[in-house]
Amino acid sequence: MGVLRRHPALVPGLLFAAALLLAPALAERGTLNDLWNMAFFVVLAAAWNLLGGFAGQVSLGYSAFVGIGAYSTVLLANAGWSPWLTLPVGALLSAAFSVVVGLPTFRLRGPYFTIATIGVGEAVRVIASGLDFTGGSSGVRMPPATFDFNSNYYAMVGLALATLALVAWLQQNAFGLALESIRQDIDGAEALGVNSTRVKLEAHAISSALVAVAGSLYAINFQYISPGSIFDFRLSLTIVLMPIVGGMGTLAGPVIGAMLFSYLQIKLLASPALRDSYLFIYGGLLIVVMLFEPRGIMGLWERLWSRLPRRRSPAIAEARGAG
Amino acid sequence: MPAESAPILAVSLVSKRFGGLLALDTVSFEVQAGEIFSVIGPNGAGKTTLFSCLVGAVRPTTGSVRFRGEEMSGLRNDQIVNRGLVRTHQIVKPFRDMTVADNIRVGVLFGRLKLRGAKARERVDEVLGRTQLVHRAQAKAGVLSIGELKRLEIARALATGPEVLCLDEVMGGLNPAEIQQAMVLVRALRDSGLTILMIEHHVHAVAGLSDRLAVLNFGKKIAEGRPGEVLRDPAVVAAYLGDESKEEARA
Amino acid sequence: MQKFVVVALNSLLTAGLYATMSYGLAVIYGVMRIINLAHAGLMMLAAYATWALNDRFALDPFLSMVVVAPAFFLIGMGLYATVIRFLPRSSTGPSMQSLLLLFGLWLVLQNLAYAIWGGDTQSILTPYTMESVRFLGGRYGVPQILVFGVSIVSLVGLNLVLRRTFLGKAIRAVTQNRDAAMLSGVNAGQIAAVAFGIGTAFAAMAGSMLSTLYAFTPDFGRSFLLKAFCIIVLGGMESFTGVAVGALVLAFVENFASAYTSIPVSFQDAISFTLLVVVLVAAPGGLPGLWRMLDRRVVAR
Repeated sequence: MGVLRRHPALVPGLLFAAALLLAPALAERGTLNDLWNMAFFVVLAAAWNLLGGFAGQVSLGYSAFVGIGAYSTVLLANAGWSPWLTLPVGALLSAAFSVVVGLPTFRLRGPYFTIATIGVGEAVRVIASGLDFTGGSSGVRMPPATFDFNSNYYAMVGLALATLALVAWLQQNAFGLALESIRQDIDGAEALGVNSTRVKLEAHAISSALVAVAGSLYAINFQYISPGSIFDFRLSLTIVLMPIVGGMGTLAGPVIGAMLFSYLQIKLLASPALRDSYLFIYGGLLIVVMLFEPRGIMGLWERLWSRLPRRRSPAIAEARGAG
Repeated sequence: MPAESAPILAVSLVSKRFGGLLALDTVSFEVQAGEIFSVIGPNGAGKTTLFSCLVGAVRPTTGSVRFRGEEMSGLRNDQIVNRGLVRTHQIVKPFRDMTVADNIRVGVLFGRLKLRGAKARERVDEVLGRTQLVHRAQAKAGVLSIGELKRLEIARALATGPEVLCLDEVMGGLNPAEIQQAMVLVRALRDSGLTILMIEHHVHAVAGLSDRLAVLNFGKKIAEGRPGEVLRDPAVVAAYLGDESKEEARA
Repeated sequence: MQKFVVVALNSLLTAGLYATMSYGLAVIYGVMRIINLAHAGLMMLAAYATWALNDRFALDPFLSMVVVAPAFFLIGMGLYATVIRFLPRSSTGPSMQSLLLLFGLWLVLQNLAYAIWGGDTQSILTPYTMESVRFLGGRYGVPQILVFGVSIVSLVGLNLVLRRTFLGKAIRAVTQNRDAAMLSGVNAGQIAAVAFGIGTAFAAMAGSMLSTLYAFTPDFGRSFLLKAFCIIVLGGMESFTGVAVGALVLAFVENFASAYTSIPVSFQDAISFTLLVVVLVAAPGGLPGLWRMLDRRVVAR
């Protein structure tokens, strides 16, 4: 109970977790599908946020890692592997690829890094569409009789909760401080002994591995993947927009963004008119957020919260401390 | 006769070129352990560039920097800090959104000492105490006064547990009372076992604190020695006064 | 040898187009230090506008540039006035905020095109689209030659403006040192607006020209944007002559790679991307930086 008092933010987190875990007993299949989607988005957004929000390196090429996880699972499953055993393989491959990509690109700062990642994502998609053993542009299918929605649901929800827990833990300890120092002033961090390249590579590897596992679970759940869907730039874009709109560099931001975007996706799929306008919506959201509140919904929340009248004592204590 | 001890820092023929500009020209000097060694010179003489070369923020074009006998040129900034050679910045730039304590914590966790847990917390408190920032520990770095920011900059570097601390104009922008405080702090730091290099413009502070000095002008070292001798050297005086002395000669 | 000449000349023709495409980006980056990702969207819109004029009024695409370029100049200034000038300026180089905002703008422009013209592939067919000219043993498409001609004219024009007019000098001043320029009396805000206009106009011209050479969809522009980015990085981000050299280098590398190796055309984008990463990592100062480095090695002191 002491833990809860020290970290009041845990309360909504635990309620959220409880709701997700109890849902299969209470809700019907349609809702569970939506929750599965939301959990999927939570993993992508929270994992991306480790490098993008906490360390400040915005990568627009994360669909590559989702795809690596998905393809590893499908190809190995078709070669006889049990689907669940393919998860660590996808994660490892993804982490390895993230290091290969990261070594040259992390030399770049800010926007230059981002543009390089656009190229990486595109290159991966083009190559995947061109190769034969990945099924080319028509994609590949999971072997039949491997589908069980219940275990898929718990797997994805479990992954989402585990991701959030891992990210929260990392943010708390030395690693999180290193990430934050890199985001605020990378030269200053190095001047104090932080090996910024290594920290970035580590964050990249961890987040890409998590994203790959999500990709593997996606393949297991949808049974069919193709370069057009899994390596699509649209996915990279969604992955980035969720934490940006929700609030980069916070724990709750990606979750809020994930909830918002999975809701948006449901609405968009339901209405053909809106489906054709998703770029307007995504682009418009980016423009509005960047112009008015770059720190996203959480930033807005903080701004409103700090306007509220508060008890005097903390302010006086600080004033006494000044000078 | 006592054996001559090897210098803790040996700078040898260091040059730095930025495109067409030669910022440092074959600068050489040695610093003994426990000294307070100052580098002075007119603005633009290359002093900050020298410090950047020492800690690996910038790579010397030619020359060598030996710290405790080990070659440093070519190593990264964080690698050099991890060996015990660290510097403060003339233009202080703390992690604005972090508290003072967290700013210091970065150096404690990732500097040479690489402390964790309780030992790390103790070290943060110790550094806060030595730089008189205890009462500001939980304040966001962005709200500090200039004097406090300068002390924070020293605190951050100190947190890494260095053997040689390079201070770049820590007295810039301070009022006389604050300058006195800073001088006391620098002496205390040296007395606790550190070797100090200083870039400073306040001549009285430099004369009062330093064991030895080097003078840079247009990237070249033009004098070195004890404060009394160096500050009376006509070449040094001329460097600071520029054309004035030529005009006097013509008159 | 014969083949070499043909490939070389084709590279030259392509380089003209690439240079036009890249100058738009370079001017905006130079004056405002922002990377205009919407550039791709603007090129694409201009391509569609040219197509629409051709479709409706049977206006020749090259002639329509006379209309499209100034129109987009105004659109560019409008964009600056309504959106761009509210971006905070970062002293440490382009900010993520501006990058993402312009990215959002690109998405909006894409959707605009989808909404107006649908997602079908379009292309422009003129009497001379299929014509080619024989020269020194090789065949060169008429559209390519015309594109090269227009590029040269526009680039020479831009150069004259930059060097001979007060506006041009002001732009160059702000590019080199914004604060000093302002102290000299230059209204940086107005210059920025004009620079954005010029950048947009050049994007539009590139888009019109591209519409005569390739088929396009609203998604088109991304690979050209990567190429343009590669070029200005090669050229050294802040050097206008560097952009021309960068365009030549990229065009040559691409054409020779496809002529002499068996890399399939679909992987061609990977070439520009690889070159981009290599340059960004190995020679961040672009070719000028490389030249300075070599110069120092050669003239050791």
